[in-house]
Amino acid sequence: MTVIEFNDVTKTYGRRTVLDKMNFSIRQGVLTGIIGRNGVGKSTLMKIAVGHIQATSGDVRVFSVNPFNSLKVSANSILVDDAMSFSDKLTLKDILQEAGRFYPNWDGPLAQRLFDYFGFHSNARQVDLSKGKKSTFNAIIGLASHCPVTIFDEPTTGMDTVARKDFYRALLKDYIAHPRTILVSSHHLEEVEDLLEDILLIHNKTALFHGPATDLQEMFVNLIGKEEKISTFIADREIISSQINGSYSEILVKNTFTSDEKSHLHTQGIQLVPVSADDAYVALTTGKKGGIDHVFNGTTAD
Amino acid sequence: MLNMDGSKPIYVQIAEWIETEIIDGTLSPDDKVYSQYQLAELFTINPATAGKGLTLLLEAEVVYKRRGLGMFVASDARDKLFAKRKEETLRRLIRELLNEAALLGVDDSHLLSMIEAERARIKGE
Repeated sequence: MTVIEFNDVTKTYGRRTVLDKMNFSIRQGVLTGIIGRNGVGKSTLMKIAVGHIQATSGDVRVFSVNPFNSLKVSANSILVDDAMSFSDKLTLKDILQEAGRFYPNWDGPLAQRLFDYFGFHSNARQVDLSKGKKSTFNAIIGLASHCPVTIFDEPTTGMDTVARKDFYRALLKDYIAHPRTILVSSHHLEEVEDLLEDILLIHNKTALFHGPATDLQEMFVNLIGKEEKISTFIADREIISSQINGSYSEILVKNTFTSDEKSHLHTQGIQLVPVSADDAYVALTTGKKGGIDHVFNGTTAD
Repeated sequence: MLNMDGSKPIYVQIAEWIETEIIDGTLSPDDKVYSQYQLAELFTINPATAGKGLTLLLEAEVVYKRRGLGMFVASDARDKLFAKRKEETLRRLIRELLNEAALLGVDDSHLLSMIEAERARIKGE
């Protein structure tokens, strides 16, 4: 069942187009990563999905209704981002209590255990928290709300390494215990790729890739071996990037080798090294540029 | 455990990890195999990815499915895995060994004596 659907969705701010006729749909219960470089419109997409802002044109459906001004969507979704702020009249404990009154699936015991684990004080106020601590507190609200649509926009901003690892592990455990539709945005794909079932890659104002994270991980392959041996294999292939270390070359190409070709490559002493989703993402979004080495060699890429 | 450096897709590593558990006898025939959710928690990966690892084993008939109960180790799983590892892993390692030996100009008799020497060293440890 589809929970979130974007059909030809465009969003412009003044003259600047952020999303251009974007199409995608998210199935119920899938943990999806929204990936893209800074400023590609990840946050805009997320705000539209929960109805905080309205698309300029196109059709948005969440639980089959337009999320903008929808009480149904508002009660069943949460967006955790760094703009999430609460009245400074409320203590952290008050906020947890109020959240419990608002969200029907609120998991009070989980919220309290996370609150204690991360060392928060009941009487502190959100405005007084450091950047990382504020992110952690907001993330606790996002997790404990158990909303059918839970969206985290760059949830680990400012968190230290330990808190980031703890958060992603908590997210996964809670997702397994209470499966629901979750979107997480990040520009650090390597940090989240193992957690994700699907990846929605945004580039040039549109969805460049949407599918299983494992498909993205298998889209490209790095050939490593002697340059003269590799060159015969890649004559008619598109080279995404290349790096030359002494007599060895590393050539990134689309992973379309048959198993016969693969064993042939092996007998020629050429290694086929899988490429992480993160490297595939870089390859997809930078295109055929020849790699950083070409910059230093003074050659121009086309 | 898993080698997260990306040299193999995670779900292949999951399948190989379970294979090793079967080969070393941690899992016996008809034992229940970890569920995709247990694997997901164990390795902090998405349950769907863990499920793909189990599917690889199911397709290779190393495990079988019992409706509603989960996956179990096939009775001939160890024999299958031994054959597969000999054919794939051991052969690949031998090829690497031969390539390296050729590069260094080490002939067969020299290579065999090195293998014997290494075996003796392992026994002595």
